[in-house]
Amino acid sequence: MNSAGARLAFDPAVLFKALFLGLVAIFVLVPLLATLLGGFKSLGELRVNPFGLPAQWEWQNYADILFSARYWQLLRNSLVISTLAVALTLITASMAAFTFAHVRFFGSSMLLSYLTLGLLFPAATAVLPLFIKVRDLGLLDTYFGVALPQVAFSLAMSVLLLRRFFKDIPYELLEAALVDGCSYIKFFRYVTLPLSRPILATVGTITFVNSWNAYLLPLVMLNTDALYPWPLGIMVYQGEYSSEWHLILAFITLTILPTIILFLLAQKHIVAGLTAGAVKG
Amino acid sequence: MARRIAITSPIGVAGEAAPQVAVRGPGWDGRFTVLILFLPPALLLFTLFVVLPIGEAAWYSAFNWNGFGRPTNWIGFDNYRFVLETRAFWLALRNNGLIIAVSLAVQLPLALTLALMLAEKFRGAVALRMLFFMPYILAEIATGLIFSFVYDGDYGLVASIWRAFGAEPPHLLASTDTAMLAVLIVVVWKYFGFHMMLFIAALQSLDKNLVEAARIDGATRTQTLRHVVIPLLYPTIRLSVFFAIIGSLQLFDLVMPLTRGGPADSSNTLVSFLYNNGISRMRVGYGSAIGVILFAICVTFAFTYKRWFMRDE
Amino acid sequence: MRLLGKLGLAAAACLLWASSASADTTVKWLHIEVNPAQVKIWEEVARSYEASHPGVKVEMQFLENEAYKAKLPTILQSKDRPHIIYSWAGGVLKTQIEASVLEDITDSVKSGGYSDTIAPAALAAFTSNGKVYGLPTALSQVGFLYNKDLMAKGNVDASKIKTWDDLLGAVKTLRAAGVTPIVVGGADKWPLHFYWTHLAVRIGGKPAFDAALKGENGGFTGETFQRSGELFKQLVDLQPFQNGFLGFKNPQAVGYFGDGKAAMILAISSFYHTQRALAADKVGLSDDKLGWFDFPTVPGGKGEPSDTLGGITGWLITKGAPKEATDFLKFFISKDVQARLAAGNFIVPVVKGGEAGLNSAFMKQIAANLAKSNYHQNFYDQSLGPSVGRVVNDVTAEIAGGSMSPKDAAKAIEAAYKQGN
Repeated sequence: MNSAGARLAFDPAVLFKALFLGLVAIFVLVPLLATLLGGFKSLGELRVNPFGLPAQWEWQNYADILFSARYWQLLRNSLVISTLAVALTLITASMAAFTFAHVRFFGSSMLLSYLTLGLLFPAATAVLPLFIKVRDLGLLDTYFGVALPQVAFSLAMSVLLLRRFFKDIPYELLEAALVDGCSYIKFFRYVTLPLSRPILATVGTITFVNSWNAYLLPLVMLNTDALYPWPLGIMVYQGEYSSEWHLILAFITLTILPTIILFLLAQKHIVAGLTAGAVKG
Repeated sequence: MARRIAITSPIGVAGEAAPQVAVRGPGWDGRFTVLILFLPPALLLFTLFVVLPIGEAAWYSAFNWNGFGRPTNWIGFDNYRFVLETRAFWLALRNNGLIIAVSLAVQLPLALTLALMLAEKFRGAVALRMLFFMPYILAEIATGLIFSFVYDGDYGLVASIWRAFGAEPPHLLASTDTAMLAVLIVVVWKYFGFHMMLFIAALQSLDKNLVEAARIDGATRTQTLRHVVIPLLYPTIRLSVFFAIIGSLQLFDLVMPLTRGGPADSSNTLVSFLYNNGISRMRVGYGSAIGVILFAICVTFAFTYKRWFMRDE
Repeated sequence: MRLLGKLGLAAAACLLWASSASADTTVKWLHIEVNPAQVKIWEEVARSYEASHPGVKVEMQFLENEAYKAKLPTILQSKDRPHIIYSWAGGVLKTQIEASVLEDITDSVKSGGYSDTIAPAALAAFTSNGKVYGLPTALSQVGFLYNKDLMAKGNVDASKIKTWDDLLGAVKTLRAAGVTPIVVGGADKWPLHFYWTHLAVRIGGKPAFDAALKGENGGFTGETFQRSGELFKQLVDLQPFQNGFLGFKNPQAVGYFGDGKAAMILAISSFYHTQRALAADKVGLSDDKLGWFDFPTVPGGKGEPSDTLGGITGWLITKGAPKEATDFLKFFISKDVQARLAAGNFIVPVVKGGEAGLNSAFMKQIAANLAKSNYHQNFYDQSLGPSVGRVVNDVTAEIAGGSMSPKDAAKAIEAAYKQGN
C-alpha cells in the first residue's frame, strides 16, 4: 500500500483493518457477553436463545448469589490469601532486593543467581513434595499453606524487578546518608521504599493477580470449603449445579466482576505491571 | 524498554561486573545488620518451598509411595519407566507440542498483526487494546468455565449455531477428536492479548527515526514493515515465543474446567497429567517422577533457548 | 521483620482457630450424599443425637463425590480432619489402614453385643486382622434401571433381556426407534468401568478375580478380562450412549435419565432414588415408570447369574477422633435409623431387621437379590486400591472412546497391578 493509496476515501486497507478488528472484538466479546446475559435468563430460555438479550430479565439468579453467604466467603478467602501473598512478597522481596542492590558482600552474586533459579520452572513440577512439606509444617488446610508457597515462587521475579529499580537510586545518595549517620535500615525505610512506589505497585499487582486467580495450590493444600478461594469455590458450585447453566453463568459473572472492575479502574497499572513483569528482569 | 529476558539465568547474573571490594569502614556494621536481617526471610522461604521440594521430588521419585507417613519402598528408576510406558504421558507431551505449535502459527501472527494495527493512534485504539487484553487477566478457571458453556452440546453457543442450521449439535469437549482442538481455541482467546501488548510496548519504544528514515528513502509501508520494523521486533518475538512455550508447559487451570484432561486423556497437558495421575491418586513417587521430567524439560528449554536465540542480548 | 512476620502468623492462626472452637465436643462428619431428602433424615438423626447428648455437636460437611476421592489423602493428613468419613471399603480402606490414619474402634463396636446386630459379611468389609475401623451402612447392586415408557416406545421387552446378546439386540432396536438406548457419565469414568467389571464377574466369576489377584492365569491379562473388554467393545461399537457421553459427569447422566431422555442406565441401585433429586424438575421418574433388570449373563460364563457387583459402603472413624464420634456412628447405624432410611428406600440396610422398613417393591427386590448372592464383588476401582482401580477406570473409558483395544486395556491393568501401590 503506497502513500497515495492511503489518502483515498475508501481505502481497502482501512476497511480490511476495521473488519479484522471487528471480528477479533466479536471473538473476544461474545463469550463474555453471553456469560453475563446468560445469568439473566431462565434455563429454558438459555437453550433456545443463548445469544440475544433475555426476553425476561431474571434478576433473581444474581440476587440469590449476591445475598448468599457463600459468595462473600469465597471472595473474602481469596482476598485474605492474596493480601497475605502480596504483603509477604513485598516485605521479603524488597528487603532482599535492597541488600542485593546496595550492600556489597562476598557471595552476593551467587546468592542472587540462586534466587533466580526460581524463574526456571513452574510450581506444578514440585507440587507433590510441596504438599508433603506443607503437611509436615502442619500448614495443610490453612491460608498460610497456600500463601507461603505462592510467595516463595514469586520471589525470584520480584527480587529481580525490585533490585533493578533500587540500583537506579544513586549510590552517592546512600553514601552521603551513611556518612551523615543514617543507617542502612533507615535509608531503606525512608528513602528507598518511598522512591520505589511504582515498582512496588507493579510487583504487588503481579503477585496479587497470580494469587487471586490461582487454582492448583489451593486445590492441593485446602480441603475445608470454609477456606476455599473463589476459583475452588466456583468449581464446587459448578459440580453442584452441573447443568443449570443459568446459575453457573451468573456465578461466573459475579466472581470475575471484581477482577474486571479492578482492571477498568487501574488498567494502565495492570497492563504495565503484567507486561513489565514479563519483559524486564 | 529493557529487553532483558525474564529468565535471567544464573550465568547471566554471575557474568555482571563483580562488585567492588567492600571497604571496611563506616557502614560495615550496618551492612552486617542488613545482611543478617534482610536476606534470610527471602532465602528461607525460597529454599523451603522452591528448592527443597524440587530436590525432594527427585528423591521421592525413587519410591513407590502413597503419601502417607514416610517413603520406604525404594524402587529406583521404575517410576520413570512407568511414566514413559504410560500412553497418556505421550499424549500429554503431544498436546503440549500442539499448544506451542498453535501459539507460533496462529497466536503470534495474530498478536503481531493486531499490535501493528493498534500501536497507531486512532479513536478506539486504546479501548480495543484493553478489550483484547482483558481475557488475559481473567482467571483461567473462569475462562475454562465460560468456554465449557460455549461448547456445551445442549445449552452452549456452539450448539445453538449448529441447531440454527438444523444439524445435531456436537459435544466438542466430549469427543477425543475435538476436545484438544476446543482447548487450543480457548488458549488463543485467552493469551493473544498478552502477546499483543508485548508487541505494542515494543513498537512504542522503537526508534521512530529509523522508520522515518526508511520512509524518506522511499520505502513503501510493506517494505518498511518487513525490513525495518519486524527486524527491530525480533527480540520481542523471541520473548513472545519463549512465553508461549513456558506457558504451555505450565498450562493446567484452563484444562480442568474444560475437560479435566479427558475424554480418555486426549486433552491432558503435562501438568494436568501430573495432577490426574500423580496428585489425585496420591502416587507421590510416580507424580514426582513426572514433576522431575517436567522440570528437566523446563530447565533444558530455558538454557537452550537462551543460548541459541538470546545470545546477543 | 521476621519476628513481625511470625507474630502475624500466630495472630492469624489464632483468628482461624477461634472461629471453629465453640461447642464442648464437635463431631465432624464428612459426607458425599447429594440427595437432599436423605441428608434431611441424617440431619434429623444428628439433631436428635445432640438432644440426647448435651455438649456434643454433630457438624456435617459435604464434598462432591469426585472431589472427595481426589482430596481424601489430603483430608486424612491435615490436622483439622473430619472424624467420620465415607468409605467404599476395599483396597482404598486397606491403604488407609496401612497408613494408620484410622482409629481402631473394635472395643467400642464389640461392646454390648452391638456388632452382632450387623450383617457379618458387611462388617467384615470394614474389619482387617480382627480390628474394626468403621461401620457399614448400606449395600447396593449394579444393574440396569430402565424407563418403561421409552422401552415401550422402542418395542423392547425388558423382562426378556437375559443375556449380553439380548442387551445388544435391545440397543439396536431402541436406536432404530430413535430412542437413546443408554446414558452414562463417561467423564467420571467409573460408570463405564461397571460394564467391564460386571462382564468379568459374569464371565469368570469369583475364581477368575481371585486368580488375577494372585497373578495366576496371566493375571488381569487373562482370558476373562480380555473377553470382558471385547464384549464391552461390541456394545460400544453399537453407539449405545447419549451424544457426548464422555463429557457427562455421573450426576448429569443420572439427571438425564431422570429427565426421561434415555431408556436405560447401568446404575447403582441407589440411583433409583438419586435420579429424582438430579432430574431437572426435581421429580424425575415415578415408580411406575421405572424398571430394573440384573446385568445380563454371558453364555458359557463361569459366574452364577445370582452373582452381584455393587458396593458395601460405610463410615470410617479417623485417627484421633473423639469417642463421641464412634458413639454417634453406632447411634446412626442402629436398627431404628436404618429402618427409617430403608423406609425412605434410600438404602438396603446392613443392620439385622432394618430391611423390615423397606416398603418399595424395587428396593425389596434389590435386597432379595443381595441376600441370595453368593459372590458380591465390591466395585473394582475401590477393591483394587486407589491407583490400580483408577487405571481400570482409565482404560474402560479408553475402550469406550475407541482409543484403546481390549487387549491393551487388560495389559495396562496388569501393569498397574504389578506396579502395586
